[in-house]
Amino acid sequence: MTTSTNLPGHPQVPNLSEVPGSILGRDSAVNKVLLRRSAAVRRARYSTIKIWVGAICAGVVIIPVVLANVLPLPDPIVGQLSESSLPPFSAGHLLGTDPNGRDLLSRILHGGQTSLVIGMLAIFVSGLVGIVAGAAAGYFGGWVDTIISRLLEAQMALPLLLMLLLVVALFGPSIPVITLVIAFAQWPEPARITRALVLVEREKPYVAAARVLGLPKFSILRRHVVPNILQQVLVVVLLLLAQAVLLESALSFLGAGVQRPYPTWGGIISDGRELFVTGKPWLVTVPGVAIALLVVGVNLVGDGLRDRVRRAKGDQA
Amino acid sequence: MLTYVLKRIGQTILTAFLAVATVFVLLRMAPGDPAANYAPPNPSSAQLEAIRQQFGLDQPIPVQFWTFLQHLFQGDVGTSFFFKRPALAVVLERLPYTITLAVAAIVLTSIVAIPLGVWMARRNNTSRELGANIGTIAGQSMPDFWIGFVLLILFAVNLKWFAPSGFDSAASIILPTVTIAILQIALISRLVRREMVVNLASPYLTVARSRGVSERALTWRYAFANAALPVVTALGTRFAAMLNGVVIVEVVFNWPGVGELVVNALKQRDFPLIQATVLVTVLLALFVQLLVDLLYPLMDPRVRLGEASA
Repeated sequence: MTTSTNLPGHPQVPNLSEVPGSILGRDSAVNKVLLRRSAAVRRARYSTIKIWVGAICAGVVIIPVVLANVLPLPDPIVGQLSESSLPPFSAGHLLGTDPNGRDLLSRILHGGQTSLVIGMLAIFVSGLVGIVAGAAAGYFGGWVDTIISRLLEAQMALPLLLMLLLVVALFGPSIPVITLVIAFAQWPEPARITRALVLVEREKPYVAAARVLGLPKFSILRRHVVPNILQQVLVVVLLLLAQAVLLESALSFLGAGVQRPYPTWGGIISDGRELFVTGKPWLVTVPGVAIALLVVGVNLVGDGLRDRVRRAKGDQA
Repeated sequence: MLTYVLKRIGQTILTAFLAVATVFVLLRMAPGDPAANYAPPNPSSAQLEAIRQQFGLDQPIPVQFWTFLQHLFQGDVGTSFFFKRPALAVVLERLPYTITLAVAAIVLTSIVAIPLGVWMARRNNTSRELGANIGTIAGQSMPDFWIGFVLLILFAVNLKWFAPSGFDSAASIILPTVTIAILQIALISRLVRREMVVNLASPYLTVARSRGVSERALTWRYAFANAALPVVTALGTRFAAMLNGVVIVEVVFNWPGVGELVVNALKQRDFPLIQATVLVTVLLALFVQLLVDLLYPLMDPRVRLGEASA
């Protein structure tokens, strides 16, 4: 839809905004209200709503987590036993304390730093590996494709969580190990999507043109094909951040996360699990809310962006 | 058809073998001496050595693997270090609990997710659909162990409707099922919605509508029949994945299934038990996957097996 009001040769077209209830200068039954209600406009608006709601949800968690070292918070590791198990909204402890007298807010924010660092590093690695492997499989085909596709299938059949627990037990629960383990769990998704997109993309005329111009295969892939699909893949990689945070919390919940006394989200909930029966449910509920808010936020932003990218590519779903 | 099935069974066995072999090697490379878990307190090195010998852990890994294979072909998966019984028997005892939970969860998921997804597709781009859409995103964003705890706090601790953990009556299955289903409903309903939106906008639907087919028949007999294939695939894959152990939910609810078994076996370094669990669950999951694939030609006559997988 063009919004230009001064088309050359058509100076009589008035400014749209000055003509109530009409478009393109003539009276029309399609007024602005109807336009705003139309499916296409609504879809655009809904994806904007998703992105904003998501950004707010994620921001509420991410901003305090990033600022945790600057904020005046009690120490997350050393508590005061005189202040053990305080309920939320106690003096000096907004979210209360755990049985060791450690401030829950401080533990959640510092734990969030671990989760976010691991999550970001993991999606960087899995995104990079997935895009490279998927692009190679899709573009070169043949035995490259066979090997990568078989690897993807094989991983589907494995009891993944068990393997991850084993590997963490093997190499120790340090941040690099947990990061790589999560990246290993996640690389199939960007790989599969990149492969599918490249399969479509490589049949397009511009690729043939580049080939005719004598560009080597690798530079066609790197400089022409991949940039055209990157946007769609990066949305998927962003959505992986949500998965990574969930997986990290699940691993620490099962005891394969960064070890105590350093706080992690899954670890805090795991520590609280024996306690909620004794009437201290906030030790379980509050850290979970932090995880859920962050993950909902990332998912909403990713989903909204995906709607937009899909619309730009002319997909109706 | 028969060649296809045989080929798939061959692949299944090969995959299961590779999975067990990987776990076998990883287990033996992992730090921590299993013998220490099964020795009396403050054991002497001779005692430890005796236990290692008893478990066969004193041999080099390739030799251990060869022995394991020889026994495997005789149908013997090994004796659990902890239970002192055949590991396979221990796993098969726990398996019905996991299967029950997985079936309950997948049934609940289908009952809720399919109508929800169809509804979302038919109400596409309305504000209520946006609400449901955000709701499903929230559903897939909560850690499952946390959902489990929140349900426990609400219904077991505060309302006292259910026993807090374990399996003591038929009602104990409700909370774990709901916990699993929340995530699955969110994922499946979004898939149903996506497939239905595409099919509802297809030209064949316009043709059928112009011939006076009722909206209900358009939705279900026309659009859904075509959207069903990917949905069934996804449900099958999800179900198969659950058989690999709904580990976290079983741990949260102390559900006596294989997931809970395997987590404890990991802690106790009970190698044969872990290997047996992996073998059984991977085989079972792949078998379910095969069954789902065999369903395709029944659901859609256009599908020819063998070609589809090529």
